[in-house]
Amino acid sequence: MGRRQYAAILRKDLIRELRTREMLVSMFLFVMLALVIFHFAFSVRAGTDLTYFTGGMLWVTFVFGALLGLNRSFAQEKDEACLDGLLLCPVDRVTIFLAKMSGNLIYLLVIQVLAVPVFSLFFIKTSYAVHLGPFLLVVLLADLGICALGTLLATISMSSRARDLLLPIVFLPLVVPVLIAATAATTGIFARGDGLGSLGGKLLFLAVYDAIFLVAAYGTYEFAIGE
Amino acid sequence: MALKKLGSPAALFVGAAAFLVTGLLLAFWYAPTDASTMGFSQKIFYFHAPIAECALLAFAVAFVAAVQYLRTQKSVYDRLGYVSVRLGLLFSLLVMATGMIWGKAAWGVWWAWEPRLTTFLVVCLLYAAYFVLRQTVEDETRRATFAAVFAIIAFVDVPLTFFATRFMPAGLHPVVFTTGGARMEGSMLFTFCLTMIGMTLLLAALLRLELAEQALKEELDELKIRAEAGA
Repeated sequence: MGRRQYAAILRKDLIRELRTREMLVSMFLFVMLALVIFHFAFSVRAGTDLTYFTGGMLWVTFVFGALLGLNRSFAQEKDEACLDGLLLCPVDRVTIFLAKMSGNLIYLLVIQVLAVPVFSLFFIKTSYAVHLGPFLLVVLLADLGICALGTLLATISMSSRARDLLLPIVFLPLVVPVLIAATAATTGIFARGDGLGSLGGKLLFLAVYDAIFLVAAYGTYEFAIGE
Repeated sequence: MALKKLGSPAALFVGAAAFLVTGLLLAFWYAPTDASTMGFSQKIFYFHAPIAECALLAFAVAFVAAVQYLRTQKSVYDRLGYVSVRLGLLFSLLVMATGMIWGKAAWGVWWAWEPRLTTFLVVCLLYAAYFVLRQTVEDETRRATFAAVFAIIAFVDVPLTFFATRFMPAGLHPVVFTTGGARMEGSMLFTFCLTMIGMTLLLAALLRLELAEQALKEELDELKIRAEAGA
């Protein structure tokens, strides 16, 4: 695997995004809108405490936000036939996967850095500053799984006739385990103040999930991206 | 292929029928009624559990076929993968149906977010997506390749989903599907083994039949194209 090629592809993606900003802006707006909509959907009574819904709200928002970005990240490549150029370069397919995945991971992290403070302002009544460490770990592990799986599936779905219609249908059922574990962990942190000790099982699960799908993507990406 | 060594579809069907009918008779007149809270409703277990095992077995076959396809690029493995997923999905739907009937009899509700039932719900959605994926890719080699990649990651995802459901807060209903291994009485275990073998034979018979049908269908398509070209 070429480190320089990896850096070059990642740099290209980031520069293009910084010039147009279309993905980041729409992802961020989507996340904000989702949080506002969640407020209206769940505040059934005046003064309802939504703390126990926090994990669910956050991860549903992030998964759908990531979906938005994943679709775009390959649509651009396909539209101007950039992908053909990329495939003609003497680059290992796995390097392309890792670079693309890192790009998607960075976008998702940027969105989260912006969205989590707003989210806590809206929904969390107590201070959770002490739990920031475990929460960060949950976010990183879950994001890695979402992006590894999402990049692989986005590559497949962009070559299909349905394109962005197909991605959610194949991606969402596969991401259910991450959603369950991350939601349980996040709710535990915010609602019960769980520390690393009681989160151990969920963190381990997320790490195993990441490892499995990184290996699966490593083995199958060559076939997914095609000739 | 190894499937051919199993015998003709007709022989497999006869074997499956013999085992399943004997199992059904034994379930009612030989195996005792469950002593725990399950009572009579436990009888459905003799069909519910073998169907579940066969669904997972079919997906496992699809997984192996997918790996073989990616290694060899032979279309026969794509065909095998396709029919196995189709049968696996059919069996999964049957698992849900029998599970819901059992749930209604044992807990009084049609649906409970019990880990195994939840897993099969996700599995159904997951493998339904397999067909959407196949539908939307036109190029044959591409379709086969993508389907194989998806069948591999889908199969890997099944145990992960099952483990993850354990993180959900337990609902009203306890996990009572523990009639496994050592906790089963001898006569129950014997009956269960019979229906298990019968169901597996049924799966093998259906697989062979579907494979043959699919092969004929493809041959017919080819002949049609040739006839059109000739006319």
